[in-house]
Amino acid sequence: MMMLSLIRNEVFKIFSYYRTYLSYLFIVLLVPLIFWGFSIGGSTVERQLTHAMGDQFLMVGKLVNAYTVSYFVMNFLWVHIPFLIALVGGDVLAGEEAAGTYRVYLTRPVSRLKIFNAKAIATLIYTLTVILCLAFMSLGVGAVWMGLGDLIVFQDGILVLPASTAFVRFSLAYGLSFLNMAVVASLAIFFSSMVKNAIGPVIGTMAIIIVFLAVSTLPLDFFVSIRPYFFTTYFDSWAKAFFDPIPWDILWQATWVALLHIGLLLGGSYFIFRRKDILS
Amino acid sequence: MNDLINNAIQTEKINKTFGTIRALQNVSLSVRKGSIFGFLGPNGAGKSTLIRILTGLIHATSGNFAILGKRSKHHYQLRREIGALVDRADFYKQLSGYNNLKLLARMSGHDNESHLNEILSQVGLYDRRHDKVKTYSQGMKQRLGLGQALIGDPKLLILDEPTTGLDPIGMLEMREFIRKIAAERDTTIFLSSHLLHEVEEMCTDIALIFNGELAAQGAIRDLFQHLGEITMDLDVEPSGVAETFLANNDLVLACEKMTTTLKIKIAYENVPELLRQLAAQPVNIFSASQKNQLEAFFMAQAERK
Repeated sequence: MMMLSLIRNEVFKIFSYYRTYLSYLFIVLLVPLIFWGFSIGGSTVERQLTHAMGDQFLMVGKLVNAYTVSYFVMNFLWVHIPFLIALVGGDVLAGEEAAGTYRVYLTRPVSRLKIFNAKAIATLIYTLTVILCLAFMSLGVGAVWMGLGDLIVFQDGILVLPASTAFVRFSLAYGLSFLNMAVVASLAIFFSSMVKNAIGPVIGTMAIIIVFLAVSTLPLDFFVSIRPYFFTTYFDSWAKAFFDPIPWDILWQATWVALLHIGLLLGGSYFIFRRKDILS
Repeated sequence: MNDLINNAIQTEKINKTFGTIRALQNVSLSVRKGSIFGFLGPNGAGKSTLIRILTGLIHATSGNFAILGKRSKHHYQLRREIGALVDRADFYKQLSGYNNLKLLARMSGHDNESHLNEILSQVGLYDRRHDKVKTYSQGMKQRLGLGQALIGDPKLLILDEPTTGLDPIGMLEMREFIRKIAAERDTTIFLSSHLLHEVEEMCTDIALIFNGELAAQGAIRDLFQHLGEITMDLDVEPSGVAETFLANNDLVLACEKMTTTLKIKIAYENVPELLRQLAAQPVNIFSASQKNQLEAFFMAQAERK
């Protein structure tokens, strides 16, 4: 009961800041813009998509539909969303210290473990709502705008997935995206536990992501050998939900690596938070 | 054992170090239940450090403490009956005063609306309760800070320099409010300050801390008995008769006529006898006040350190 009250407090605090809504605003504005772009230039895209297949297949129905565009949307946004997640996650502990509110909040009769758990859960709830907002704007609004149909993806060529399986695959893809973004949120919380202002954690989180992504691309033996342990290696694991057949072994590996990172980062954050002397 | 039961706060050899700096050294403090306890010391003496340890904001390097007769490994459980205002009151600026209190009250299960509204009325913020805290003056924030400390009707109020940042009127209001709480509720008040007159005005008991070490503690009256001579101002008419009497009295160490009063020096323990003798003279005594005793006591302790 107390835990629920604490989570409610933390969610209420997160959503009391205007900056929290930047993520939703970004998605609400950008996704329809992408759909609008496809709707006015859709026939060109459709021609390009079918060009290679046109000689051998008879294409029936709309190829540029909500599913296809949502697939493109996920490609476009997965760089921007980590920044927006870090913006909130980076503030969740450091923001309290900077504002001096720890002095009233941590003097209540509640353990730091519960307070930390509530903050972490609230940040993950926020992360989930961002992914759900992306899903709703892509699939929900897209379905009304463009209708549904078979999904065309690129995997060693062009793969046409039947509309009947698309929703399940998208659910899997959004689930994997949530896991990846939860790692980003945990990383931001980790940095947030160490410093006294929210800017550092945001910069730190983005720097880690960029450095890891850059290192992952280096074709050196050492980096190739440690690449499977980088969470950034699995940033695009959501796209594998659209492979045929779905490479479950890779997806399980991505899931375990993400969960391990979340556990280690949140565990480390709590360790720092529990021992922290509030001097501000 | 009796100390533990009778005291609102009992600390035992609390030490705190920050790197190489020893902020507190073997601080063993006893705060009597029902007292208004002033914790005095110059800036940087360790007042806030001890208060932050008691309220769970920082961890003691070593030592123990009990609150209202209870000890616990989990110090947060001891905070159930504590209300605290540590340093300047800061809140979630984007939220209203009411919502700030509600957030904090939820953490101890005291978030019913009538309780919160009662607190807001007590601290004079009821009419502004739905305004965002960012529109509040520092005085209002400090009153809201006191309000959040009153959530759940605590048995012990810990106030760290509660008049910090307030203008003179705000200071007077805050002191008046603290006195009112002490008088109306069964609440022990432990407040730190470096304002000697503030503590002298409000407190029944004090402790002095210098460089992280306790220099003295106890009831003010008991401590002043060790002070030796004190200075008193007497407003007496006719002043000529009184001056002659005082100048020739063996109990009086020195007598000086000021513009409107007579200023005398006297041993603390001789004050009651002198006042009895003066009252028997053909004079009207309008007031007899001891001036700056705490200041003298504080300075005497500071010199020893």
